[in-house]
Amino acid sequence: MAAWIAFFALAVVLVGAAVMVVSARDLVHTVLWLALGLVTTAGVHVALAADFLAAVQILLYSGGVVTLMLFAVMLTRHLEGATARMRSESGARGVVVALMLAGLIGASLWRSDKLGAKAPAMEVDTAALGELFLGPLVLPFELLSVLLLAAMIGAIVLSRPEGPPGSVPRLPPRVTPPGGPHE
Amino acid sequence: MIVLFDSPWLHGALLGLVVSVSLLTVTAAGLLYERKFAGRLQNRPGPTEVGPWGLLQPVADGLKLFQKEQIVPAAAQRFLFLLAPLLVVVAALAGAAVIPWSAELMVADLHMGVLWALAMASLMPLPVWIAGWSSNNKYALLGAMRTVAQGISYEVPLLLTALVPIILTGSFRMGDIVAAQADLRWFALWPPGPGAVAFVLFLLTALAESNRIPFDIPEAESELVAGVTVEYTGMNFGMFYLAEYVHSLVASAIAAALFLGGWDMGPLGSGLHWMLLKTLLLWAVIFWIRWTLLRFRSDQLMELCWRWLVPLGLGLVLFTATWKVFA
Repeated sequence: MAAWIAFFALAVVLVGAAVMVVSARDLVHTVLWLALGLVTTAGVHVALAADFLAAVQILLYSGGVVTLMLFAVMLTRHLEGATARMRSESGARGVVVALMLAGLIGASLWRSDKLGAKAPAMEVDTAALGELFLGPLVLPFELLSVLLLAAMIGAIVLSRPEGPPGSVPRLPPRVTPPGGPHE
Repeated sequence: MIVLFDSPWLHGALLGLVVSVSLLTVTAAGLLYERKFAGRLQNRPGPTEVGPWGLLQPVADGLKLFQKEQIVPAAAQRFLFLLAPLLVVVAALAGAAVIPWSAELMVADLHMGVLWALAMASLMPLPVWIAGWSSNNKYALLGAMRTVAQGISYEVPLLLTALVPIILTGSFRMGDIVAAQADLRWFALWPPGPGAVAFVLFLLTALAESNRIPFDIPEAESELVAGVTVEYTGMNFGMFYLAEYVHSLVASAIAAALFLGGWDMGPLGSGLHWMLLKTLLLWAVIFWIRWTLLRFRSDQLMELCWRWLVPLGLGLVLFTATWKVFA
């Protein structure tokens, strides 16, 4: 019973935060609503007895990704105080896609025979999880790490200064304000 | 395990409350201790006026903070500005849930205990950033940016060094990690050499995560006035102050459990007192560092982390895995 109440309370907060992510007009507020959504997702994981997933969710998403996003927002020029336009011109198409997605989820729920079934009481064994990753699932696991490595190398290549290695990066030309420099 | 109530919800809530209040009390005592300690380091007596031997100084400080006016700047984002100090303290205290004070006394012996503590530590930069941004003050914002940069950088070596005891034990559970170090086989001493390096690295990065000197560049008072806390007054400021101390206390306790054998002291017995002694000793080392060293520059801080600590941490993980397989 308590788990049900917790789940629904979390679900309400989660949906509310998700709506705010797409409707908040200030970009920083958007990121903060996303942070709330991600923490609440971790709470939902706990309510579904997936503690390990919850801890990783907080560690990587709320602690890592959100802080990086804040950084990205702050490093983007002229965003301080700017408000984003949150309405799209293709609203009708969006509604169609949303309805189709809702239909798909509804249909799969309708056909499911697991509805109302009691979740098996399980304690996720992190050791067993690790053995799965290094045993039967080793190939996808390694493929994922190669993918991440490729992304990391790509980021380094993209952010490298131009010119031959070892050379001093070229600074952008200094702009003199109209009317001459005032020292 | 101590069981207060049959209901796990009531039990958890009450035990959590007891441990939180005890932690805050220890923190208040620690404030006085640090001022006395710093005084001795600088050849002066420290607080002596309030109460016998200055014992009531933290009480006086607390009362003073409570009496002060709570100012919210007109251009600040009021809700976020007032929310941030609360979140900072919550994030600092939440990590304490998995600290194994003794074989019986733990708020929650989660099977992913170490991960929980690290996850809560990784949340810390977020409320600090909210504080800096909602203040609508350039010094506060600069401090907030530094906090985020530092937090996200030092999290990497912190996680890597925390992996060393996890690999050696083969479990994320705090209780298992302490039990694996029974009979003085502390992970700081064994494997000889790298264990000590991992321990020192963990303490250093935990220090950096809690934004204390020499890693307190986010609030460098000589250049940023006071960083994120510049617009905060009264108890709102007190919350940040408190969170910093609680965070460093929790970090000391986690380091004591992961590397110094926690509640166990081999032939000298085991119990809560040993865990407390080790935690407070590490805490004193943090104070000692604070009053001895100078502050790093922002770029030195980043260079130390990415050029030295991260590769060192990766090497430690590699060594520990090899050791675990072959020894």
